[in-house]
Amino acid sequence: MPNANRVFHLTAIRNQVRPSGRLWSPAADVYHAGDGWVVKVDLAGVSIDDLEIVLSDSHLMIRGCRRDTFYREGYTYQQMEITYSRFEKQIEFPCSIDAATLTHDYRDGFLLINMRCK
Amino acid sequence: MSESSEKPDTNPPTPPASAQVGPKVPSEQAASNGKPGQPFEIAVLALQNTTLFPETVVPLAVGRQRSVAAVEAALATPEKLIACITVRPESTAGADATSSELYSVGTLVMIKRMERLDDTMHIIAQGTERIKVIEWKQQEPYLRALVQILPEPRIVDSEGVEATKRNVQAMIQQALALLPGVPPEVRVAILGSVEPVRLAYFLGSILNLGVEQEQKMLEAETADDLLHLAHVYLARELEIIQLRSKITSEAQSEMDKAQRDYILRQQMKAIQKELGEDESGERAEAEMLRERLTAAELPEEVRKESERELKRLERLPAAAPDYHVIRTYLDYILELPWRKSSEDKLDLNEARKILDEDHYGLEDVKERILEFLAVIKLRPDTKSPILCFVGPPGVGKTSLGRSIARSLGRQFERLSLGGMRDEAELRGHRRTYIGSMPGRIIQSIRRAGVNNPVVMLDEIDKLGNDFRGDPASALLEILDPQQNNTFRDHYLDLPFDLSKVFFIATANQMGPIPPPLRDRMEVINLAGYSDPEKLQIARRYLIPRQIRENGLNESQLRIEDEAIELIAARYTREAGVRQLERNIGSIARKVALKIAQGQVESVTITADIKDYLGAPKFYPEQARKELPAGVATGMAWTEMGGEVLFIEATLLPGGKGLTITGQLGEVMQESARAARSYLWSHAAEFGISAEMFRDYGVHLHVPAGAIPKDGPSAGVSITAALASLYTGRRVRPDTAMTGEITLSGLVFPVGGIKEKVLAAHRAGIRRIILPLRNEGDVEEIPEDVRKELQIAFISRINEVVDVALEMLVSNPPPPIAIGRDHTAVQPDSEVAAVRQV
Ligand SMILES: Nc1ncnc2c1ncn2[C@@H]1O[C@H](COP(=O)(O)OP(=O)(O)O)[C@@H](O)[C@H]1O
Ligand SMILES: [Mg+2]
Repeated sequence: MPNANRVFHLTAIRNQVRPSGRLWSPAADVYHAGDGWVVKVDLAGVSIDDLEIVLSDSHLMIRGCRRDTFYREGYTYQQMEITYSRFEKQIEFPCSIDAATLTHDYRDGFLLINMRCK
Repeated sequence: MSESSEKPDTNPPTPPASAQVGPKVPSEQAASNGKPGQPFEIAVLALQNTTLFPETVVPLAVGRQRSVAAVEAALATPEKLIACITVRPESTAGADATSSELYSVGTLVMIKRMERLDDTMHIIAQGTERIKVIEWKQQEPYLRALVQILPEPRIVDSEGVEATKRNVQAMIQQALALLPGVPPEVRVAILGSVEPVRLAYFLGSILNLGVEQEQKMLEAETADDLLHLAHVYLARELEIIQLRSKITSEAQSEMDKAQRDYILRQQMKAIQKELGEDESGERAEAEMLRERLTAAELPEEVRKESERELKRLERLPAAAPDYHVIRTYLDYILELPWRKSSEDKLDLNEARKILDEDHYGLEDVKERILEFLAVIKLRPDTKSPILCFVGPPGVGKTSLGRSIARSLGRQFERLSLGGMRDEAELRGHRRTYIGSMPGRIIQSIRRAGVNNPVVMLDEIDKLGNDFRGDPASALLEILDPQQNNTFRDHYLDLPFDLSKVFFIATANQMGPIPPPLRDRMEVINLAGYSDPEKLQIARRYLIPRQIRENGLNESQLRIEDEAIELIAARYTREAGVRQLERNIGSIARKVALKIAQGQVESVTITADIKDYLGAPKFYPEQARKELPAGVATGMAWTEMGGEVLFIEATLLPGGKGLTITGQLGEVMQESARAARSYLWSHAAEFGISAEMFRDYGVHLHVPAGAIPKDGPSAGVSITAALASLYTGRRVRPDTAMTGEITLSGLVFPVGGIKEKVLAAHRAGIRRIILPLRNEGDVEEIPEDVRKELQIAFISRINEVVDVALEMLVSNPPPPIAIGRDHTAVQPDSEVAAVRQV
């Protein structure tokens, strides 16, 4: 375990508090590709059933929940660095994307969202 | 921990259902986002002394067995969620508290990371929603409860919330300025955070408010309440932060000063060592002071006090701030001439010689001074009054003081009181003030080095006073023979005997001097010099002195009388000789330069002085050849000496009453009214038709220049001008007048006769009208001036008509034609031309 992670040594030191949202938010890349966009979201381990993608005006909202499906009886955690539970990611575009046709796919653990504007 | 500072992009707009891909989030806690959802069961982590708020990320260390078990149970679920609920402050059980010792409202927490170190689990917890316990399900091995998500605090009054939020952000800004340890990303996060609820929760988690108040915030149902609490708590906290930072910085500067002093002392020691001086400098210093104290002739009280101070000094380290203060004080005491007097050598003949040596003329003044000195000589212990020289600038007041000191063989100290406003300037500041010093009186005594110097209190009429205390009353005590033998300066705080000091005061006017002070003084007036006197003073004193001071000798610079007269008349306007001396000085400097440059060997200054002094600066008022009816020549007294002025009256056809322009003021108006009324009521006597008063108004112009106090002395001149106007008989141009009048026609005496007459004489006037009761003052007028004058004394106003107005009138011209036409009513263009400056 890298030393950099040992920030949390003591009980609730006040100035270690950080403001946050209610949920977590995955990282994403956005490519401008010809007449559309390709959005790549770091969302491994999220079942497609737990995913919701919403387009509205100029933003794209991705939300869902990552659940740990590997845990079994008899396991105990030694270390946990992957964030589970509900997430939310909103991406702003410089133009309206309301009318885009949208396809999505999982490749190598990334969620790929393809948006074609006519 | 990059995730912990993710972009806080929650509360998205409700998406249109159309673009939805895939099914709804099926999580069991899916009903969040502010809407209370289905109850669910969850592991509970009991928090002690802290509260975890939604929308904050906090690292937690988990060590208690039961807590570890709760976290492990949470990690065993797919979403790694746990409820954090705070133990009530009154509980002593800590993390082992039973469910009943916990609050019932807590926070649903996402465990973002976990690592184990020894037996402790370190987790990073992110608060997501508020939850409420519906039912406790289990106590052991860890707490478990059925909970329900509580709605997010809603905004009731959005404007109020916005206002409070702005307030809070401003306060945070102040607080952050005083808290250097706050990481920059936190600064950005709170100041940038625009969401009021998140801002409040974050404040709740960093402020160290104590569990009870934190819980209050957590349980707040509305954003309004929540933010209000945050505001109140923050205000209190800010006060504490500010106070703390003030204390710290004060301690800091205190330390800086002590540190600085210490370093300087160390350096001094090093230097002393270098110089081979005793290392224990402090001891030596105290020892030396003791020796000096023993040797000094000090009054008993002073000795006692200074020994006490010396003992204090010995106990102090040299680095102590007080050490220096005491040292300076003791030095001062040692240097003061407590008992030391110079010996008077009072020989009246010698004194006379010295006064004559230093001053031309001033016979009466010198006489008075000698009388005064004779009294001192005869009865040295009498409490004599204070001499006070009163007169315009440059008449020799200060230099007479010096002469007196010289003739007595005493030290001379001059103390200018002009503009002094603060009593402490005279009496000093208490020693407790940093950098305090004795007042000017004690300072001048120390400079003199004896306790019987001549101290000149210069410009006593210019003494100010304001809220800082009245220096005049301090002066009263200083000049009071009953009190001044125990004069207490604030700094010395010991009585000093001033009774041997010979005080002399000077003033330009008696008016502003407070009466109690005036009563204590023996006033000697110096009126100013006539032109012939100025010539003599210049020849005998000023020129030789300026020649000397500019490194010349008598053969190198000669100034002819003509030149001196010209300087006095055209380059200066003064009663004294100060400007005259200055002008002679600048001639001498220019000549010295020429000689030094080898241009010439010697210079004689004739009437052609333009090369040296430029164009003449003054054209003195000259008596006019002829005065139109309605104009009279008056004489006024000013601080600079005397002046002649022309009072002009004009008829205003169809006008009414009296219009006065120029020098205004009540007294002047009263004089004018009295003069007019008198003439009116005696119209027949003067051959004036009463219609003149009824049908014409009068415009009276009294030029500015004379000081307002001298107003009444224009009464006679105003009467003459009006009488001339109404009768058409002109006022004789060679005649000037002064005097106060009453309604009943009496003429009262006025002041400044000598100055006025001298000024009139300078202006070429040869006939003077004075009040009868001023007859005695004529003695003051130098003989050579007086013999050229014809002086008439009057006691009633009708006499002025006889003396001043021309007897022969051809035909009294019609009123309108008198003097000037209508437009000339305004100011005195003619007078201005004569007086051009
Ligand atoms: N009667 C005098 N004889 C010689 N010098 C005089 C006489 N009166 C004034 N002075 C000189 O004029 C200068 C101005 O006098 P000063 O004493 O400063 O005037 P004051 O104190 O009245 O303003 C001084 O150099 C002084 O010696
Ligand atoms: Mg003076």
